[in-house]
Amino acid sequence: MADILAMRSARRDGSVGGPRTESGSDTRAASAIGSSITIRDVVKTYGAFTAADHISLDVEPGEFITLLGPSGSGKTTLLNLVAGFQKLDGGEILVDGKPVHNVPPHRRGFGMVFQSYALFPNMTVTQNVAFPLRMAGADRETTERRVAETLDIMRLSEHAAKLPSQMSGGQQQRVAIARAIVRRPKVVLMDEPLSALDRRLRESIQIEIRDLHQRLGSTILFVTHDQGEALTMSDRIAVLDAGKIVQVATPVEIYRHPATKFVASFVGESNLIDAEIVQKRGTTMTLKNQEGYVFSAESRSSLDVGRATVLVRPERISISTTPNASALPVVVRSAIFLGEILRIEAETASGERLLIRCTDSADRALPAPGDKLYASWRAEDCWVLP
Amino acid sequence: MSATAVHTAGPTVSLSERLKDPAWLLLPAAAFLAFIYLLPLFDLFRISMSGSSWSVHFERVFAVSLYWDSLVRTMQISFTVALLCLFFGYPTALLIHKTSGWRQAVIATAVVLPYFIAILIRTYSWMVLLGKNGPINKLAVALGIFDQPAQLLFNRGSVLLGMTAVLLPLMVLSIYSSIARQDPSLVRAGQASGAGPLAVFWRVLLPLTLPGMGAGFLLVFVTALGFFITPTLLGGPGDQMFAMHITQQADFATSEGFLQALAVVLLVITLVVVAIAGRFLGFEFIWGGNKLSDSTKPSKQRHPGRWTGGALSAKIADGIGWPLMRLLSRMPVNTGTWTVRALGGFVLMMLTVPIVVVMILSFSKASFLTFPPPGFSLRWYEKFFSDTEWMTAFTNSLIIAAMSAVFAVTLGVMAALGIVRSSIKGKSAIMLLLVSPVIVPPVVLGLSLYSLFLRTDLAGTMGGLAAAHAIGGLPLVVVIMAASLQGVDRRLEQAAAVHGASPLTVFRTVTLPAIAPGMAAAAFFAFLHSFDELVLSLFLSSAQLKTLPLRLWADVNYQLNPVLAVVSTLEVLLVVGGIALARPVLAGRSKALA
Repeated sequence: MADILAMRSARRDGSVGGPRTESGSDTRAASAIGSSITIRDVVKTYGAFTAADHISLDVEPGEFITLLGPSGSGKTTLLNLVAGFQKLDGGEILVDGKPVHNVPPHRRGFGMVFQSYALFPNMTVTQNVAFPLRMAGADRETTERRVAETLDIMRLSEHAAKLPSQMSGGQQQRVAIARAIVRRPKVVLMDEPLSALDRRLRESIQIEIRDLHQRLGSTILFVTHDQGEALTMSDRIAVLDAGKIVQVATPVEIYRHPATKFVASFVGESNLIDAEIVQKRGTTMTLKNQEGYVFSAESRSSLDVGRATVLVRPERISISTTPNASALPVVVRSAIFLGEILRIEAETASGERLLIRCTDSADRALPAPGDKLYASWRAEDCWVLP
Repeated sequence: MSATAVHTAGPTVSLSERLKDPAWLLLPAAAFLAFIYLLPLFDLFRISMSGSSWSVHFERVFAVSLYWDSLVRTMQISFTVALLCLFFGYPTALLIHKTSGWRQAVIATAVVLPYFIAILIRTYSWMVLLGKNGPINKLAVALGIFDQPAQLLFNRGSVLLGMTAVLLPLMVLSIYSSIARQDPSLVRAGQASGAGPLAVFWRVLLPLTLPGMGAGFLLVFVTALGFFITPTLLGGPGDQMFAMHITQQADFATSEGFLQALAVVLLVITLVVVAIAGRFLGFEFIWGGNKLSDSTKPSKQRHPGRWTGGALSAKIADGIGWPLMRLLSRMPVNTGTWTVRALGGFVLMMLTVPIVVVMILSFSKASFLTFPPPGFSLRWYEKFFSDTEWMTAFTNSLIIAAMSAVFAVTLGVMAALGIVRSSIKGKSAIMLLLVSPVIVPPVVLGLSLYSLFLRTDLAGTMGGLAAAHAIGGLPLVVVIMAASLQGVDRRLEQAAAVHGASPLTVFRTVTLPAIAPGMAAAAFFAFLHSFDELVLSLFLSSAQLKTLPLRLWADVNYQLNPVLAVVSTLEVLLVVGGIALARPVLAGRSKALA
């Protein structure tokens, strides 16, 4: 675990609010600064099932961090532990350096957005959004002002008097977000907030949440099983599998340099090639696949002999129809036209499957099943899994 | 019924086309209810107005202080009982909701089980518990609270206690289904917004479960209005409830007309309460179900309107509620939990202890009821099984209950199919009619059937009694089967049909297997309903045809001997066995409703 954590490279540029601040200059001016969250060796079991298996994670103030994993990987459990809805079976959670296990959820001062929206059906939009302020003891005038501001930010002002049941799913989720941020909390927890929405709505709210994050500067802990969502939104992604964190890194690092086969296949499409190590020189490794095709790959692996798994992303493979000694000959099994992209499934002579994505161009006919192609890739587009 | 009339509106439809719509399946149940339920009730109204002027009997009801006082008293007792049930029922429902695993199963069983045990037996168990030789008196004397055993029975307190204990499960189930229907993340959203458990309860859970509370309150209130067995056995002369006057008057043949007027007054009051309740809650509250999808109007439109009242009350709550709530959220986190545990635990004791005591007493060696028993023996079991009178009553009850279950299930399953699967209009109204026997006080129903049975020579026959019991069994079957049918995936049937199965084959191979467990449960409850039925039998049976509850009733009034405890124990075993068999079905059903 330790070296996985150490693996996250020097990705953050240090400025609070993450690398995306460069674009909008001063939009997040006088806003609150988020809390740091330290998750240390956390364990949670349900009977024989271990939902969180010694998880450690450091979240920096103002960071947008995504917990990504398939269902049952423990990401929601971890979020609920941070929220205080469930009790720890081991380890500790610190917020701004202070342990929180004795603080009940309602005194942690977080904001939270739920997958099912969880808007109070008996209250109007205004009453829902005012709820956290009223609980915090804000006076009427402050409450009204803050609610109006927040509704304005979320572009909900015209719906203020509506009941949740009178609104669409996207609007309801924006109300839920408004309720979560109205107190300007230092930490906002989001539990798959977009998974109930359709794709276009999801994409527009993704952008809204990202902008909001820059504006408020809160620390955001975001749970999702959608890798695309995680890549789009996060400063850093923590990938979970079977109750453990398998990698914590920036989206670019996760995509280009996954730490395990699981991360490689869970995030994005991938070709995992089983190959034999021929030679290792610095960070470059020379390998040979099953039918003897020799190629170079980037590597930070400690391996230097034996077999290794090499990741080649489908869009990094270039194809040609003319025979080439330095390329791998493959036979097309199927080719699907996806618009700007062609998705080709091919097979090597030894039957290994190779997925290729390439941009469509007018001067090229679509490959047909049975066609011979020559695939090649650059060493820097190729990653040996540690 | 207007089942076929619906179709005449459209262009002319051939008979075979009409038969394809399963609405005609409603006809047998409709005919049955029309003959044995609506017609007698109609007669009841007619006879009540048969005096020199239509109102003469009613004037007497309201002029004689005996009846007027009793009416007021009945309202007071029913209202108090409903309040008590609400106060104790809510924490119990919360306790079921908050526990999980085997604990939840145990608590839920402790609540549900008594619900299915005959009221007569549960009342009897309280008589034993509170009696002079009962455990409470014994304990109090041993602790020095009383010098000698006190008379705890036959007063207002014992009536309230007994009725509350008998009706509590109804309230708990009503509130629980309302709580379980809520999105669990609402509570979490409240907490994440800074509201403590008590504040979340007060501001979120309580307002959202208000309809469930209202439904439970009114169900208990309406049922209590017609109560007869419990106040008769546990009350003193000052606790006469209205239904008791009807049975007393029924012994005098001279009171024809006046007797019916008494019944009509009770019925009308009940119906008015139900009508008002239905106006606000929707009549579905009677059977605790969800709205049947009426293909003609989308039910979604009702939702916003229903909450406008909530918005107003929220405004009032805003004015005084917030400071109070902030105070509440500052209280120790466990306050609410412990309140719920204490009150819920108390309720569970109230529901289970009397029955357990009676079960223990059935093995007593003593020749009279005393607790703890001086020794154990099976003498009372031997007495029960060797006594021909008891055994005749027992077999009579079994035969009648089996017949009644067959009637109710046959009619009920057809009716449920007709209502769920047809495109008939006014499904809610039809459902209301099918289920309405549940709210008619048994005393009123018994009286109305009395003259019909005399006229048709049904009185004192097994078939007649079974049919009368099926009036109450039918609603149970319809409700269970409607829920069961709604749970069947229509696409499975469509899949079978597409691949060549005829409608009858589809029903036999797809629908029937899916609803068979529900049918078994429905049959059991219809059987149990008849097996436990006392009030109708009091009116409709003869000296030659005694059922087990009638025999029990005679003995309870005459002498409290341990044979009654034996019968009670056997009944508990019957219910436990039945529930154990029906449990998977019930679990499935509550899931379908949530």
